[in-house]
Amino acid sequence: MAGEVHNPGFLLASLEKVVNWARTRSMYPATFGLACCAIEMMGTGASHYDLSRFGMEVFRASPRQADLMIVAGRLSQKMAPVLRQVYDQMAEPKWVISMGACASTGGMFNNYALVQGVDEIVPVDMYVPGCPPGPQSLMHGILSLHEAIKSGEIRHGTGVI
Amino acid sequence: MSWFADMLGPWRGFAVTFRQMFRPKVTTQYPEEKRVKPQRFHGRHVLNRYPDGMEKCIGCELCAGICPARCIYVRGADNPPDAPVSPGERFGFVYEINMLRCIFCGMCVEACPTEAITMTHLFEMSVTDRDDAIYTKDELLVEPDGTPRHPQPAGPLIDLEELKLGNGWLRATASSGRAAFEGLVAWTPSATFGAEPPERGQTDADVDDGNEGA
Amino acid sequence: MADASDKVTITLDGRQVEATAGELLIAAAEKAGTYIPHFCWHPRMKPVGMCRMCLVEVETPRGKMLTTSCTMPVADGMVVDTASAVVEKAHEGILEFLLINHPLDCPVCDKGGECPLQDQTLGYGPGESRFVEEKRHHEKPISISDLVYLDRERCILCARCTRFSEEISGDPLIEFVERGNHVEVNTFPDEPFVSYFSGNTVQICPVGALTAKPYRFRARPWDLEAVESVSLVDSVHSKVSVESSQNEIVRISGVDNDPTNQGWLSDKDRFIYEHIHSPRRLTVPLIREGDTFREASWGEAVGLVAERLGAVPGTAVAGIGGARATNEDAYAFSKFMRSIVVTPHLDAQLDDGLDPEFAAAVHPRARIDDLERAATILLWGPDLKEEFPVLYLRVRRAAAHLGARLVVVHPRVTGLDLVATHTVRYRPGEGPATLKKLAAGDGDLAAVRAALNEGPVVALVGRPGLAEDPRLAEAVAAFARDLPEATIMPLVRRGNVFGALDMGLAPTLLPGRVSVTDTAARTALEDEWGALPEGVGGGATEILTGLVSGDREVLVLFGADPMRDHPDPTLVRSALEAAGFVAAFDLFLTDSSRLADVVLPVAAFGEVAGTVTNLEGRVQKVNQIVPPPGQARAAWSILDDIATAMGGSLGATGAERLNKEIARVAPAYRGVTWDMLDWGDGREGIVVPLRGADQPLRHIPVDTGVPTVTERPAVHSARVLYDDGAMLRNCPGLAGLAPRAAIHMHPRDASILAVRDGDRVLVSAGASVELPVVIDAGLAEGAVYVPFNLVETAALGAPRSIRIDVVREDAS
Repeated sequence: MAGEVHNPGFLLASLEKVVNWARTRSMYPATFGLACCAIEMMGTGASHYDLSRFGMEVFRASPRQADLMIVAGRLSQKMAPVLRQVYDQMAEPKWVISMGACASTGGMFNNYALVQGVDEIVPVDMYVPGCPPGPQSLMHGILSLHEAIKSGEIRHGTGVI
Repeated sequence: MSWFADMLGPWRGFAVTFRQMFRPKVTTQYPEEKRVKPQRFHGRHVLNRYPDGMEKCIGCELCAGICPARCIYVRGADNPPDAPVSPGERFGFVYEINMLRCIFCGMCVEACPTEAITMTHLFEMSVTDRDDAIYTKDELLVEPDGTPRHPQPAGPLIDLEELKLGNGWLRATASSGRAAFEGLVAWTPSATFGAEPPERGQTDADVDDGNEGA
Repeated sequence: MADASDKVTITLDGRQVEATAGELLIAAAEKAGTYIPHFCWHPRMKPVGMCRMCLVEVETPRGKMLTTSCTMPVADGMVVDTASAVVEKAHEGILEFLLINHPLDCPVCDKGGECPLQDQTLGYGPGESRFVEEKRHHEKPISISDLVYLDRERCILCARCTRFSEEISGDPLIEFVERGNHVEVNTFPDEPFVSYFSGNTVQICPVGALTAKPYRFRARPWDLEAVESVSLVDSVHSKVSVESSQNEIVRISGVDNDPTNQGWLSDKDRFIYEHIHSPRRLTVPLIREGDTFREASWGEAVGLVAERLGAVPGTAVAGIGGARATNEDAYAFSKFMRSIVVTPHLDAQLDDGLDPEFAAAVHPRARIDDLERAATILLWGPDLKEEFPVLYLRVRRAAAHLGARLVVVHPRVTGLDLVATHTVRYRPGEGPATLKKLAAGDGDLAAVRAALNEGPVVALVGRPGLAEDPRLAEAVAAFARDLPEATIMPLVRRGNVFGALDMGLAPTLLPGRVSVTDTAARTALEDEWGALPEGVGGGATEILTGLVSGDREVLVLFGADPMRDHPDPTLVRSALEAAGFVAAFDLFLTDSSRLADVVLPVAAFGEVAGTVTNLEGRVQKVNQIVPPPGQARAAWSILDDIATAMGGSLGATGAERLNKEIARVAPAYRGVTWDMLDWGDGREGIVVPLRGADQPLRHIPVDTGVPTVTERPAVHSARVLYDDGAMLRNCPGLAGLAPRAAIHMHPRDASILAVRDGDRVLVSAGASVELPVVIDAGLAEGAVYVPFNLVETAALGAPRSIRIDVVREDAS
């Protein structure tokens, strides 16, 4: 995506809309369940909420096949380099959702062991508050991200908003 | 017969699949359809007012003191004598909650001596910029007519009506539940303030009845 | 103190406990680890037994009886029960009574969260009250002084505040009024609670009845962070706890340090913190451009200072100040000036103090605690209430409660006169004659001389006024030294001036109480620092005259404001204007730093850690709790940068490292490290030198012959507690408390001049100011008193002689 077109004509603009739409339709999440939030993330994928309605049922354990990293849970200092490595291994375009209080800010664990917000490690596109956020909250985050991608607000997941 | 059994094998395996096809579907079609949250659900906070429009918050910082995540920042100030903001000497001059740090435990609601802060059912507050997750007094405090404010507009993903729900939680922690409060208006509800019916069902006979409201 | 025969044994809740005979039961129990709840009892005040909370059961011949443990001295064989069912019932009853009228507005009360009434209701209370009637109502907080609010609804009538103001501070301006159910604490009508110590009543109030205005609604106890530190308002160095919320200091409370402040503070100690977060604080380096300043980067400012300091020979550079800094900063400045710039011209005092050798190394030196044992106290120096308020409390305690005889020699009535055995007034300038007369016991001073014959004698000597010759203090000390068991305490007021002198910020001293002429110590220091400048340097006045005459070209103001603190502001102005280059380390743009070429913002109290030394030589630690604002930095790190830019090195990589260097290099400070001061007994402070460490300089005071000034009127110019200093001016709570400037005259002098109280006169020395006259019978005849450094009198300084012209209404 190095050569970004800054003044797209009708054709490119329409193409971009199609591309953006396509990106939101099958956004495979990478599994990054770190704590209790992961349970809610699993619940979101299961039949009561069913993420496959948005083409997202395939939680990929292999980062190269994933588009969206849902950081679900508190990130310890030891886990931080792993998180960054998984993020680096994901192919562009890629997005990050910081799920829950601990991932977003450290939550109630304001101590030396935890990273005070994963945005110190990776660029985050969507913050989902809650402890843990329920499936509806997470889906709200995911759908808000979809909207942002479709509208072009978020172009590609390098934290450029 | 064995060839017949062999032929039936795959179909028997699919039996589970076929059986499920005729069961009712459990999937909630979010966002078109939203699950009703339990009455005492811990969602976004609101800051309430008295029926006369005065703010309930007195800036005592008990919520900030009890908060295990230390996500609340309150500063008190002297009430201007000619135009008091809240009853008494002191009012909440600054009130901020960092929703990204908040763990929605509800300790602030329990600690609040004036029932100024209560929780509602709205839980969908995702943001792209973390600064937007810090709710200031402008966003937390209800309008003088009781309408709650919210930084994000209503839409298919956000049902602002949920902000008006939350009395169940308040009732559970209110000083009622005791026979001495029978017939008294022991609390005023959160967002939709106004005179609530006096407490009833405080006697032992029907103590379970005290949990409706919303 | 107590030998074995004083010991008695009591039975406390079934335990055999040893106590000192005559001690109060509540104190003995507390020492033995049994806490007895109380409100009115305070270990530093006499008991009254008003709150009844400390009831315990004591066995008597008539059976077990409830009695207040705060009024019951222990006796041998006493059997005490502090937690029986009867005692518990008594506690519940007392608390229910106390809460009958208490409004329970804890959520909005400043005491809520640290309130003894809250704590004890939780711990010993009945849980519920049977009282349903309407509570007593009063007007919510009424302002009883400029610093204190009184909420009479919350008051539980423990009499702590009234006893404090009567017993401890001696300003009985707050009292019980009315009778029976209507009793309330209040001030006298039309007489506000104007006391230099009113903040202490706020601290000892066991409920939120007295609250401090500057702290009102600023924070709650649970969001305060606290560190122990010492107050640098004067050189007594009272122990304080500095409390901050959200990186802002919001409160300072007194900590009971037995050898220094015993828990009390002056209001200046307590409320001065507001200047630290003043919007007028300097946050970026400033460089002069024409008549104004422009903001600059640190690199540019440091580079400019280094270039200008390096461009002239070392001896053309002089440094003034250091008395506001920590020992570490002062040491860094001393090392920087002496080994990088190579100049001997350094002075931490502004010609408003004493001879540095006398102040830093007088022998035999008194400790504040000697006042507890003193039979006689001779005070020939400043008005302690105005300049050393906490030392005033200690002297007052000795004189009023411990039976010491107090002799006060001062040109004017002082705060201590009420408790003094003898007061001597003399005309400023006639000190030598008065001293001769006192020493001989001539005439009316015979009784005073006789009073001084009983030891141990503690002599507190300083300059009674700034127009007074500093050598007078040493002459007094030379006289006092021969009194029985005499010890001498030099009185110099400013912050850490004794620490600065000990770090060598004086023309005649090197770090660690070493004279610059001491060759052995000099050589030892040169091994550490490199070559030192030759000879004795010039003091503040000499430096300033040198700048005017052109002998010196560059001046470094190290946290000093000579325009306001030097007795001759006219000289200072011409010196600062004549100087080729002036660099100022400062918190604010003061009158002096406004005339500088480069102003470097430094960190203030509470923003740096370090050690400080008080007037008895006690080293204590100040601690950091908030970060400095903007780009302001600790002074040592700025000096280190300048030294590096000049091609040298200070080796200052941290304040603690500097402290280790001081402990190695400065003889009197040998072995005194931060660790010792942070933990254990060292938290009370350590009086240097430590046992085993040597102090090369022991200054025996000598009378060098003080010239008598005979001019009339003799000027007495002294500081008041709330003057117009840079810190006070930027402290909203205290700035308005400065007294109205006036010229005080003895009634007889006023009648000679034919002026009445309130008439205006033109007072001229270097400058002329118009001041109202106050007829002051407390002043020595033939003298006038002009307060130093008020807004109106700042231009005047402290001249030795003045001219008074009466301004006639009809003439104008």
